[in-house]
Amino acid sequence: MKKGLTISIIIAVILAGLFFWVKNSYNRLVSGEEQVSAAWAQVENVYQRRADLIPNLVATVKGYAEHESETLEGVIAARAKATQVTVNPDQLSEDEIAEFQAAQGELGSALGRLMMITENYPDLKANSNFADLQAQLEGTENRIATERKKYNDTARAYNVSVRSFPANIIASIFNFETKGYFKAADGADTAPVVEF
Amino acid sequence: MRTVLKRIISAVALCIAASEALNAIPARPEPARLVNDFAGIFSPGQAMQLERMLTAFDDSTSNQIAVVTVSDLEGYSASGYATQIGLDWGIGAASHDNGVVVLIKPKYGDSYGDVAISTGYGLEGAIPDIYCKRIIDSEMIPHFAAGDYYAGTVSGCRVLMQLASGEISEPRGDSSEFSLFGLLAMFILFSIIFFAILGSNGKGGRGGNNGGSGGVDADDLIRGIILGNILSGRGHRGGHPGGFNGGFDGGGFSGGGFGGFGGGDFGGGGASGRW
Repeated sequence: MKKGLTISIIIAVILAGLFFWVKNSYNRLVSGEEQVSAAWAQVENVYQRRADLIPNLVATVKGYAEHESETLEGVIAARAKATQVTVNPDQLSEDEIAEFQAAQGELGSALGRLMMITENYPDLKANSNFADLQAQLEGTENRIATERKKYNDTARAYNVSVRSFPANIIASIFNFETKGYFKAADGADTAPVVEF
Repeated sequence: MRTVLKRIISAVALCIAASEALNAIPARPEPARLVNDFAGIFSPGQAMQLERMLTAFDDSTSNQIAVVTVSDLEGYSASGYATQIGLDWGIGAASHDNGVVVLIKPKYGDSYGDVAISTGYGLEGAIPDIYCKRIIDSEMIPHFAAGDYYAGTVSGCRVLMQLASGEISEPRGDSSEFSLFGLLAMFILFSIIFFAILGSNGKGGRGGNNGGSGGVDADDLIRGIILGNILSGRGHRGGHPGGFNGGFDGGGFSGGGFGGFGGGDFGGGGASGRW
């Protein structure tokens, strides 16, 4: 009788320990995932900010550089394409992020071409409205770089916690998956320093 | 064979350069300062004056404006470098994210001079990117181009201060109280050390002549510090009969110290320019 009581106490303690371990690991993973989602929301925010600047920018450039319509249309088309590519924030899979990054990268290079041709129009460069847009665009590009880096850092910390033992057991039971990263390969992360 | 070797060497050199670029951001200064003139473009007096101006502003509004000068951007864009400094050092208060980084890379010979202003999340509304650009173009670069880095920095910071104080203006109440408390604690601590040394001198008078002269020096030093503390404490209280409210504006300032960075966050807002 006494033996049975000891055994049941031991089992109860083990079960309680197990429960708290599962609870803590699970909650840590949930909060990690939330942080990654929040970081992703910031990334989408700043890309949206850039997309919002474009109509105004195109309209301003159009007034001065009408026969650059090809470049202008390229920007508009790239913007339309980029705003269509969305990433499911619950998944944030490697592939979806790569696709998102490719579409935004195209918009980035189309914008780069547009800013390049504006160099040929001194009247446009003297326009204060254009100067303001240019400053906003620069700030937005820097914001994009910053938020992408922050997202990568957050996702990396989360992925480490998903994959390391013993939390990975909980992660696989409850289907916590690793998140994708932005790749620095396309050179968008380090804005090229142009020396004239 | 030779070309292979060359390739390997250049690859290794690239790797080293890349790893250095990662560590290029200077470490957070110890003790924390708001003016970090790594490029040496200010005279010591100018740096001190600027530090005093920015510390007073930090004390009265809790907005932290850090001025950093570097001789090389290490492959970063000027804005990227400024933002990274803000993030790494945690400039601004964590609760307000109200830090600003003013980064200056002076012009050397043929190379361009670069300047960037990076604003913390909390100040993006008060100091929009366009304003940063205008401050850079109209307040800073004209002076910089003329070679007067100090005048350009001061007039840029003045405008930044006006803009920032309109958004967040929260005197550092807690830190002022803390400094008063710290003053008292320091006074007690020094009194204890003072009396301990006095006591040991009296007891071991014959014990060590070598130690004796050192002891006198330390005594003088401590006495000086205590006297200084008493005087500054009295001055503090006397100068501001209004009590804490009066003490805010001058409190930390007369203490002469910048309290340190608060862990503010940056999102990459701001602008840059070159001349």
